[in-house]
Amino acid sequence: MTTLAIDVRNVVKRYDEHVAVRDLTLAVPRGAVYGLLGPNGAGKTTTIRMILDIIAPDEGTIRLFGEAHTTERVLDRVGYLPEERGLYKKMQVRRVLRFLAELKGVPGAEAERRIDEWMERLSLKTPEKDWGLAKVDELSRGMQQKVQFIGTLIHDPDLVILDEPFSGLDPVNAQALKDTVVELRRRGKTVIFSTHLMDNAERLCDAVCIIARGEKVLDGLVSDVKRAHGGRHVALGLDGGTSNGVAGVLGDRALVARVDDQNRFLELELAPGASAQALLERLVGAGAQINRFELVQPSLHQIFLQKVGAVGVEAGMSGHG
Amino acid sequence: MGKLWAVTKREYMERVRTKWFIIGTILGPVVFAAMLIGPAYLSLRSRASRDVGRIAILDATGAGLGERVARAMARPAGDTVRATAPASPPAPRVRVVAPAEMARAESVATAEVVRKETRGYLVLTAATLAGDSARYAGRNASSLRDVERLRTVVRQEVLAYRLGAAGLDSARVAQLTGPRLALTAESVTDKGRGGSGTATAIFAGGVAVLLYFTIFLYGQNVLRSVIEEKTTRVAEVVVSSVKPSTLLAGKVIGVGAVGLTQQFVWVLGTVYIGAQMAPILSRMAAESRGAAGLAPGSAVQQAAFAMPSVSAGMIVSLLLFFIFGYAFYSALFAAVGSTVNSETEAQQATAPILVLLIASSIVIQPVMFDSSSQLARTMSLLPFSSPIIMPLRMGMGSVPPWEVALSLGVLVLSCAGGIWVSARIYRTGLLMYGKRPTFGEMARWVGRAG
Repeated sequence: MTTLAIDVRNVVKRYDEHVAVRDLTLAVPRGAVYGLLGPNGAGKTTTIRMILDIIAPDEGTIRLFGEAHTTERVLDRVGYLPEERGLYKKMQVRRVLRFLAELKGVPGAEAERRIDEWMERLSLKTPEKDWGLAKVDELSRGMQQKVQFIGTLIHDPDLVILDEPFSGLDPVNAQALKDTVVELRRRGKTVIFSTHLMDNAERLCDAVCIIARGEKVLDGLVSDVKRAHGGRHVALGLDGGTSNGVAGVLGDRALVARVDDQNRFLELELAPGASAQALLERLVGAGAQINRFELVQPSLHQIFLQKVGAVGVEAGMSGHG
Repeated sequence: MGKLWAVTKREYMERVRTKWFIIGTILGPVVFAAMLIGPAYLSLRSRASRDVGRIAILDATGAGLGERVARAMARPAGDTVRATAPASPPAPRVRVVAPAEMARAESVATAEVVRKETRGYLVLTAATLAGDSARYAGRNASSLRDVERLRTVVRQEVLAYRLGAAGLDSARVAQLTGPRLALTAESVTDKGRGGSGTATAIFAGGVAVLLYFTIFLYGQNVLRSVIEEKTTRVAEVVVSSVKPSTLLAGKVIGVGAVGLTQQFVWVLGTVYIGAQMAPILSRMAAESRGAAGLAPGSAVQQAAFAMPSVSAGMIVSLLLFFIFGYAFYSALFAAVGSTVNSETEAQQATAPILVLLIASSIVIQPVMFDSSSQLARTMSLLPFSSPIIMPLRMGMGSVPPWEVALSLGVLVLSCAGGIWVSARIYRTGLLMYGKRPTFGEMARWVGRAG
């Protein structure tokens, strides 16, 4: 038995005018929370749709739990929340959920039991009001999101795929989603989600893959990724702002590759070949009033910007996500 | 198969539960019964009614034409022997009037009509004798049948009078002007004579129109269902669990089953109501025969109520043509539905399909006039019109079995091809938003693996 929940190898997807995904290889271990990061249009949604056999790759292979991803048996173990969400508006909530459960092969009685459980848990069913009997379009947007979420998990999937799950969620639902992801992981499920919000990924993910322009930029455990990029970032706190001399030091591209003003401190990325020691000497020499000088681990956000850069973001502004 | 069943069940149950389905299904037979019985009722009513007897005749001919007309009206038409039949209509009252007094007599007669003592009055003058004109005024002046009956009687009596004046004796005149002709039309098929020609044509035409409407209606239903899934974006969740081709198949089967359910209820309901109404209809017919002076049991009357014979083979082929015709069109509708972003766009995009469907319905009438013309034979072979035209031809009269088999074969193959192409367009179109694809793009989708 393989230890991989998702095993994507050398996958290519071409559209008429562009290549959406080129030679992508991904390995998502079982039981992990995995982040698929990238700017809009990087190929995240295309990749996810290929994993789910909604679209077929032009080249490469995809296996889920060691089996071909096209078999019904394996797809029934996957729960999917697409980026563009929607339900049958005129249908009763319970019937929608029952239908989604049937599509995944959950028997009727079992589906009814789980619907009750979930509806109560997400307070859609209270002693006063059972929203399950209402039509979908009678529900508020927040409630519809909950229903959609139940639909994703109603068959107790072993692999949960969430495409931009946090977009459009209010803080309460976002928190509920985070709690659920943590709980799923505790129960040994595998969760993969795409996002362009690095903060969420940094907090939730065990491992990440950053893609841009359809290509993998880097992947690995979050801790490994950060360690690999650590030691090159300096948090610098200055009293009394930056004088001209200090600004000159920070502007030296042989020493400092990038400066990110975080208001209370500056986050610096050292230029290749430059040392923190040399930077500190130059700053002291320029008369800087230093209250903080610390080698820090970069945030995923920093790594993302460093690796993908503004070019990658802009190049991917069109087409599919 | 479990997934196909789930999709089919959802499509079926969600439709059957709507109040429009329930109302339409219940009201359908009532409307159909009204459509069947209404015209029959109206035509019976509009046969020359007993009213023709309740009129006054103002005779200014001075030649006793009024008396002759009154006598003729009092006996059942064309059946001189049965002049004393119990159902004979009342004889009109005749007033002999001098030509100079006519104006005053007419105003008196008008007043009688207003007071409802009579239904109307007939004015016979010298011009009538000359074969030029007569006049009628009355409440039933707009009843074509009544006026036609008056015209026939007056014409016949003027002819008889003039023949008498020319020297023929009265018995000879009666004999010459007496014959009455009933033309019975009966359709002949390979199996021999069966049913009345008119009834067969009406039945076949009705079936064709029903097929057209059903295919149209339920094809549009499939279209709307596809658009709903696409615009609400629920499609993506669904196709992550089922193959698009399964979703398409479930949709077409589910909606088609709704159509069959509705028609089943309609046919049963109409037959039931028809059976309930039949005694009333025949009583109405019997009364009107007496009133109009038609010989009871005349062939024309019977033919109008003879049901055309419908064989089991006919029903089976009807069902096959419906199923494949519906599947063919609804697959096309589904493919188009998957390429549009809204119902408004769909109206434009479905135009080519509608043209095919409407073209088939336009030829229903010419085919009813001649069901073995070149046009009829061609349209009953082409897959887009055969589901409507072939059953029509089969209903009109016998069609060679090989033509039916060929037509069905072409339809089944086109249906399979249409579904294959549609499934491929559907699969890609369902997740494409924004600009509507061109035909070239759609052709590429068909060619692509996934």
